[in-house]
Amino acid sequence: MELFRALAVVAEPPGPETGRILSLLEIEGEATPSAYAELFAFQLYPYASVYLGSEGMLGGEARDRIAGFWRAIGQVPPTEPDHLAVLLALYARVSELAAGTDDPKGRAGWARARTALLWEHLMSWLPVFLAKLDALAREPYRGWGRVVAQALGAEVESLGAAAALPLHLREAPPFQPGHERVTLLDQVLAPVRSGMILTKTDLARGAREIGVGLRAGERRFVLGAFLDQDAERTLVWLADEAERASRLHADTIEDEAVSRFWVSRAHDTADLLRALTLEGAPHA
Amino acid sequence: MPLENLNDRIRAARAEVEARGETFYPGPSRIHLAAFPPKERWDDWVELDAKAWPKRVERRYTLVPTTCFNCESACGLLAYIDRESLQVRKFEGNPEHPGSRGRNCAKGPATLTQVTDPDRILQPLKRTGPRGSGTWEPVSWDDALDDIAGRVRKAIIEQRQNEVMYHVGRPGEDGFTERILAAWGVDGHNSHTNVCSSNGRAGYQYWMGFDRPSPDFANAKVIVLVSAHLETGHYFNPHAQRIIEARKDGAKLIVFDSRLSNTATHADYWVPSYPGSEPAVLLSVASYLIRHGLYNRDFVRRWWNWRQYLEVEHPEVEPTFENFEQVLRQLYADYTFEFAAREAGVDVEVIEAVAMTVATAGTRLATHNWRSAAAGNEGGWQVSRTIFFLNALMGAVATSGSTFPNAWNKFVPKPIHTPPHPQTWNELTWPVEYPLAMNELSFLLPHFLKEGRGVLDVYFTRVYNPVWTNPDGFSWIEVLTDERVMNLHVALTPTWNETAYFADYVLPMGHAPERHDIHSYETHDGQWIGFRQPVMRALRNRLGQPVADTREVNPGEVWEENEFWIELTWRIDPDGSLGIRRHVESKREPGAKLSVDEYYAYLFEHSVPGLPARAATENLTPLEYMRRYGAFEVSRRVGARYEEEVGGEELQDTVDDRYGRVLTRAPKPASLNIVPVPSPEGDSDGRRPVGVRIDGTVHRGFPTPSGLLEFYSRTLAQWGWPEHAIPTYIKSHVHPDHLGSDEKALISTFRLPVHIHTRSANAKWLDEIAHTNPVWLNTGDAQALGLSTGDLVRVETKIGHFVARAWVTEGIRPGVVACSHHMGRWKIHDDGQRQLMATVDLAHEGTRWGLTRERGVEPYRTSDPDTARIWWTDAGVHQNMTFPVHPDPVSGQHCWHQPVRVRKAEPGDRYGDVVVDTSKSMEAYRAWLAKTRSALQFSPDRTRRPFWLLRPLKPAKTYFKLPETPAPTGASGAD
Repeated sequence: MELFRALAVVAEPPGPETGRILSLLEIEGEATPSAYAELFAFQLYPYASVYLGSEGMLGGEARDRIAGFWRAIGQVPPTEPDHLAVLLALYARVSELAAGTDDPKGRAGWARARTALLWEHLMSWLPVFLAKLDALAREPYRGWGRVVAQALGAEVESLGAAAALPLHLREAPPFQPGHERVTLLDQVLAPVRSGMILTKTDLARGAREIGVGLRAGERRFVLGAFLDQDAERTLVWLADEAERASRLHADTIEDEAVSRFWVSRAHDTADLLRALTLEGAPHA
Repeated sequence: MPLENLNDRIRAARAEVEARGETFYPGPSRIHLAAFPPKERWDDWVELDAKAWPKRVERRYTLVPTTCFNCESACGLLAYIDRESLQVRKFEGNPEHPGSRGRNCAKGPATLTQVTDPDRILQPLKRTGPRGSGTWEPVSWDDALDDIAGRVRKAIIEQRQNEVMYHVGRPGEDGFTERILAAWGVDGHNSHTNVCSSNGRAGYQYWMGFDRPSPDFANAKVIVLVSAHLETGHYFNPHAQRIIEARKDGAKLIVFDSRLSNTATHADYWVPSYPGSEPAVLLSVASYLIRHGLYNRDFVRRWWNWRQYLEVEHPEVEPTFENFEQVLRQLYADYTFEFAAREAGVDVEVIEAVAMTVATAGTRLATHNWRSAAAGNEGGWQVSRTIFFLNALMGAVATSGSTFPNAWNKFVPKPIHTPPHPQTWNELTWPVEYPLAMNELSFLLPHFLKEGRGVLDVYFTRVYNPVWTNPDGFSWIEVLTDERVMNLHVALTPTWNETAYFADYVLPMGHAPERHDIHSYETHDGQWIGFRQPVMRALRNRLGQPVADTREVNPGEVWEENEFWIELTWRIDPDGSLGIRRHVESKREPGAKLSVDEYYAYLFEHSVPGLPARAATENLTPLEYMRRYGAFEVSRRVGARYEEEVGGEELQDTVDDRYGRVLTRAPKPASLNIVPVPSPEGDSDGRRPVGVRIDGTVHRGFPTPSGLLEFYSRTLAQWGWPEHAIPTYIKSHVHPDHLGSDEKALISTFRLPVHIHTRSANAKWLDEIAHTNPVWLNTGDAQALGLSTGDLVRVETKIGHFVARAWVTEGIRPGVVACSHHMGRWKIHDDGQRQLMATVDLAHEGTRWGLTRERGVEPYRTSDPDTARIWWTDAGVHQNMTFPVHPDPVSGQHCWHQPVRVRKAEPGDRYGDVVVDTSKSMEAYRAWLAKTRSALQFSPDRTRRPFWLLRPLKPAKTYFKLPETPAPTGASGAD
């Protein structure tokens, strides 16, 4: 399980040890602070709560659930219990305990914790995240993402399918934007509701494809400016993005239940956005 | 490559790197702001120079650990020494330190500004005019040492040992100077503790023998603080970080504080109790637990001395546990929530919610009181006695998440020499009126000297500033300038202070990176030692340039204390004829002087379990290891030692007393940990207490006379205080019953988060953040007085008044005012710390004294360009001078809270004015002295003090006997 611990280090801002670990992982490319910042600070935020929370933001109920998992296994939750690096390192530790605890009862408990961590807090969002990362990132992070996906795949194979859809997904409220523009913006940028991840790069491409100006700012502001300029075409573009995400999920997520969730969530979003297009622009 | 191969490859690489003692992973995740330079790179650490931004300029550093010397926590620091200039560029946290774990408060990094302070004292000085005149001349260390040593030697030879006194503020190394004084045969140790923690200590001591709590905050379910740990508490940083961890883990935090302190803002339940009412509230919580049977019955049955209590106090009932429970219910029946609410002025619902929360804690109840309410109130020692009552009820004693005795979470290594107990008793510090005093009656020294109880030939103040810190500072000035009672005053201090102005010698001592000490503190359930060291000396050693005398590498002629004391001791007895010199002699080279290197090498090699083996894994000697890493964890998760079963080898010819105390003839096993522990007495046949028999098994127990937790203190009962022998409520001297209708209670004990008493005015970063101490006034009180924020107010105490500015706030309860003591520094001449000291005129007519501000803080030009950028003018107001002494009649602690009248300043009043009549100070002293119950009347065995109680420097047992002729008392003598 040392592999997961090493992969966790790469998800942190690069230091001298990052190069050593990438070399051991046979991943090409230099992990520079700017590459790290571009990917994880500006495009794909490495926190589970961003992808599993109904607000699409850091913290909230999704982070609380993950903190609860830390407590349930007798650990003090760190400051950011849902950071990808922290979760991968935790998985390494829990897996070691599951393998190395002498007491059979304790071993069984840690094995359950390992399965729960894998399915509830990693596989519930990482396939979507890693697919996006693969499309977006350069080396060494693209190579790193592929090893993470490969390692998770091996764990799934070893531990078997999940007994149920992860709670984060079961509890995720649907995409119901209504006619309020602010609600639409909030929900479309919340992956667990809309079924898609929209990065800054996506929005830059969207500006070109829609034919609107790209205003500098955070994603909610940028998307709002799209709607100001051409609401109908923006909604169509968003529907197409959702449909594209739905197809991507179908191709990349192996677990049936998780795949069904993300595919249908994105597909439903596309339908609703098209319906909105017909009904007219959302209110400011 | 297949995944499994990748896994194996990384594992092998990690093993290889770690086998070299290096770090494979970067330690705690940087995502959590807890990244540190890996220790194997400390010799050559490269960082970008922040000041050079946006250019990328690399700086190379050698990182050398030391220990902070600001508050008592002794957190670890890493000095970043520039490899080119060999100057310390900054201080950051030492990740290898088990107490602070790499984290520091603002005071740690600010050490740099103390080192580079342009106003610091860099050479020994000798006064040339009258004391206090501010005229000095440089003097060599040799001349100063010869003069001081000659006087001490003469006093010893002439059997005037009690005329030599050492008065300490910030503690240095555990026990070091106590041993020096013992080597001299002098009972002259005088600590600051009776203006600090004595009341807090006393309450704990009467329960468990140990006088200090060690809460395991991180693992607690419920935390109760009568203190302000998250802001300014005693072990502020190590405790605060663990309290936050517990909170993240779901723990509930209950905070008692009349002010909305930073700690209170973090609380789940804030109890803004009226000052001094805390025991009433705590007893109501205890009463609730008792009434509803929510306490740990088996723990109470096994570990309380209930049987002794019943037999002595209730001989009419059969001594069964069930009968005790019934008596217990009756004892605390009157402590209802309604009663507590009336006393505290807090809603019944809040107190009830607190009680119900405490009841959920089980054995994971961590409580803590140190100064705060204990230090403020007469009878304040019942604050800690009643807060620990809750632990004792819940069985939350030294279990995970509970409160431990400090001595189990502390390790004091046995040193190279251990001198015998002094053959004398010093009445100036341990007078007969206070047989149960927790510590020396230090703040009464001026009053004792004025009464003619003695004189001082050589008086050392060491990193201590009684003129400013203690109550009644003008009385201190009176005795410090009276050469009839104070022959020679030597101030050992890194920086100027108000007391040093009245010294004969001012001797510069080092800051945190300029001195040696070892420390161990009860920060959590574990034991560690931290090593303070002169960082340039350590660096020179690493560069192959051994340093024999720390003055070679310190700024100017600044010295470190251990070398100073060794040298002074050597000069007191240069030929060894007095039997003193042997205590500072080398063991490697008999007849030669002990060096600090040998002193610490011996200690680390022989007295710290596990350290030699750990050092050997890195091919280092134990001393090299400590110089490299600065700290060592001796043990973790110490647990409930009282439950430990006593082995058969320690049970020889035992006898049990009637309450199960087991006495043995077996000698006490040697221990490398010499942490102070009370010493309950054995029997007249030479047996010693070894444990306590519970349900047929001999357990280690507690170092109390009974070996149990003492719900009932036979000591208090026998020494004149039977009414306070169990946890109870003593109405404070600022209780509304004792105040006039126009009086309020003044709280003065709280700290400002970035300052530390008298010691941080020389830190410009800290001064810029905090440089004032307004008087907190509740909105309603301010309205009634016609005051607004910024108005000048006159605060009148029983002996004088001070003038400050009002701060109107809802953050303090009505009827109470508050002013932090962390401000009001002053200087009367040019010498002084100019960044946070106002220049004042000090004048008196007879006993009427006044301090008038001439100038506030101003910019000035020095080698440090920042001194020309000083933008603040305020330095706060010195309030302690207007406080009469309030010695608690039991513990001896000065009870800081003041009954005061607050009103608009009068015409002519100026900000910072301080006016006091010291004849009134003496009246107040006598009034409080009259409350005492002297050993002469109440000692049950004609001794001065119960022998089992802790005493920092303990004379030989025979000197505990009271003299045949009564000792002098305050009834006579001149002012």
